[in-house]
Amino acid sequence: MGKELLTAAAGETLLLLGNEAIARGALEGGVRFVTCYPGTPSSEVPDTFFRLSKDGPYYFEYSVNEKVALEVAGGATLAGLPALVTMKHVGVNVAADPLMTLAYVTAPGGLILLSADDPGCHSSQNEQDNRIYARLGGLPCFEPATAQECKDMARDALLLSRSLEAPVLLRTTTRVNHVRGPVTFGALPDTPAAKLFAKNPAKYVPLPASARPMHVRLLERLEKAREAAETSPYNTERGTGEVGFIASGAARNYLADVLEEDGLEGTVRVLDLGMSYPLPENRIAEFLGKCRKVVIVEELEPVLENEIRALAQKRGISVEIIGKGPHLPRLGEYATVNVRAAVNATLGRETAAVETLSVPVDLPKRPPNLCAGCPHRAAYYAVREVFGDEAVYSSDIGCYTLGFLPPFRAADFLLCMGSSISAGAGFARASGKPVVAFIGDSTFFHSGITGLIDAVAYNHDILIVILDNRTTAMTGHQPNPGVDTTIFGENPNPVDLSALIRACGITPVKVNPLNHKATIAALTEFAGQSGPRVLIAEYPCPIHARRVGQAKKTPPARVTGDPAACLTVRDTLACPAFAMVEGVFTINAEQCDGCMYCVQLSADIKPGKKEAR
Amino acid sequence: MNRARIFLTGVGGQGTLTATTLLARTALAAGLPVTAGEIHGMAQRGGVVESTILIGGYKSPVISKGEADVLLGFELLETLRALPMLKRGGVVVGNSESVQPVGVCLGRECYPPLDAVLETARGFAARVVMVPCISLAEQAGTAKAANMVLIAAAAACGALPFGVDALIRSVEKYLKPKIVPLNLKALELGAAAAATGQAA
Ligand code: SF4
Ligand code: SF4
Repeated sequence: MGKELLTAAAGETLLLLGNEAIARGALEGGVRFVTCYPGTPSSEVPDTFFRLSKDGPYYFEYSVNEKVALEVAGGATLAGLPALVTMKHVGVNVAADPLMTLAYVTAPGGLILLSADDPGCHSSQNEQDNRIYARLGGLPCFEPATAQECKDMARDALLLSRSLEAPVLLRTTTRVNHVRGPVTFGALPDTPAAKLFAKNPAKYVPLPASARPMHVRLLERLEKAREAAETSPYNTERGTGEVGFIASGAARNYLADVLEEDGLEGTVRVLDLGMSYPLPENRIAEFLGKCRKVVIVEELEPVLENEIRALAQKRGISVEIIGKGPHLPRLGEYATVNVRAAVNATLGRETAAVETLSVPVDLPKRPPNLCAGCPHRAAYYAVREVFGDEAVYSSDIGCYTLGFLPPFRAADFLLCMGSSISAGAGFARASGKPVVAFIGDSTFFHSGITGLIDAVAYNHDILIVILDNRTTAMTGHQPNPGVDTTIFGENPNPVDLSALIRACGITPVKVNPLNHKATIAALTEFAGQSGPRVLIAEYPCPIHARRVGQAKKTPPARVTGDPAACLTVRDTLACPAFAMVEGVFTINAEQCDGCMYCVQLSADIKPGKKEAR
Repeated sequence: MNRARIFLTGVGGQGTLTATTLLARTALAAGLPVTAGEIHGMAQRGGVVESTILIGGYKSPVISKGEADVLLGFELLETLRALPMLKRGGVVVGNSESVQPVGVCLGRECYPPLDAVLETARGFAARVVMVPCISLAEQAGTAKAANMVLIAAAAACGALPFGVDALIRSVEKYLKPKIVPLNLKALELGAAAAATGQAA
């Protein structure tokens, strides 16, 4: 989606990705400050803002991590600007510290925190339910379900935030972020009147004496938000009858489709909760009062279920409440299948078995793989060659996590962003085993550096390999503080990674991982040493290099000698450009990136001729 | 056809998501209510990419097993793998050519033959149409246009609620001018191949 997001007038309808719709909604809400740390499924929101940043009426940054993103935007909202901060669910854990207090300190300019949750772990290490953060921190919470709602709720959440001066949580899930649907635009506002900051430490500096009254005021703001939820147009009721369903988030979609497809629409009561926290208690109590049985349909944790049970008890409403159970599990994503089963079970209807085709179970798998020509593959190859199975490999979050697959098996444990150095250090200290920690450049800036400082301070025995591909590849090649080039050209203020590490007390060794000999030599030397050591394996991700127009054109490699002699390279390097055609090893010229790494490993593979491309 | 769930499957880099967006935009331009969804993230880097298009007023972008009216397979093995998504009496339009997964490239696993797909689908699907998308796209100028060959084949054999003409208009409207002629050629070849690709 191009400039239309900045220019399209009210009333136009465009097909948008949920994440693009959130960007437009924030713009309609008057957003002037956007910070983030990229993470699937949130990334297209900041990527959209980044792409449009030359023409957009806002400041934008890819912050060094989520905590910093929230803190920078927190400062901006205190200065009066409407702000948006985006991250994936686990990112909120990183930002949790400032988040809990920002709700005390307030967001005068308005601030929405987008938390993109990932039920089903499509691209995440866990499936935590961040609606609980709304409860923990005291943040009003919106849960859109469609692309149109992504747009509308982003706008209205920002406006509510600005009027209450309370940070608001916009909580999405993968299927909402990555839904694509028609979105009818609203108007873009003029520049919002600046709210001037007036110094008032009792209001903005949470010392114990001031924090106590701040907490009182936070609860008062939540009561106001509750009133907004009672009348919110996003909380709607439909249907009749004595069986009711209360649904939130993407679960609303599954319920609506089942009722419609099975001809049940209108025969049961439905309460859709789009603004789900604070709970619109009166509205829900009134709904419960009309029903004999109520089913709570929500993905992941029984958040609404528990609150609604408590509400019914408090108000003395006798109604059967059905929540998590065999049809509505506490984990994974929902779909029409299980919601249909829950609806039918409630209504005493039979669920017809769905007839499906079965396919052979032993089909070849297609795991994600490091791309052909990826410098990480070369780095893993060399580390394996020197350290083999003796060392324990501490991994981190990025493309290079894929190094856990065979043939490298270069990931023995992983906790979270930035943990490879610190967890590796702890493991080394506790076990006395040699540990190699892998971390990307972006991840190192994110939160690896604190682990490095710890490793230096306590002399942990660990070899840190920084896989510096000059970008944040996993989430879509976003710039990080160290990059040289972005889609807009040269980065005027790159942070010097080597100098930074030197300042921590270690002189790193830098190699081009695609140079096999040099990398092996550096690793061999490190293998004989102890204490914290850093190898920077620096070579740009070829996909990124292509995008920013810096790729070197190299012809593909070719098998010129005995293909049978290449099988060891095939099995130990496993470049996706390798192929077996009728049992004979060959290199797929279409797939080969021309990195020339395999050429260094086998006398039977040679560089192709220049004119081959 | 007034309501349809379309499941698309392919391999990262094949243009599955570009095709999904183009189909969704075409449906919208035809005045049909549409919802589409995609799952990527870890699926890039040569993994499986799955997406959905739901036409006719569905809210959820998710398709469960046995729910798809149409299965569009951009790669043969992935078509076979996704057959459980198909509803009895549904339509399969697929690429008869393969992109080998790494285990097959390395000689550790065996790639299933085209017949495996046809045999599995026979008697369950109402129709199976298999088209050599990569070869035809190469004929049009680049293997990258294989996605266009496939969607044109799907439109030409009536698996979609709009025809090839609607796709042509979308290609002209939404793709960069430089690549339009090539993609139009791919549409043409795909549409022509649909008739000969009928297999079940
Ligand atoms: S995107 Fe770049 S860094 Fe990631 S696997 Fe591919 S080549 Fe490697
Ligand atoms: S040169 Fe060799 S290792 Fe590099 S991409 Fe080509 S086949 Fe793979």
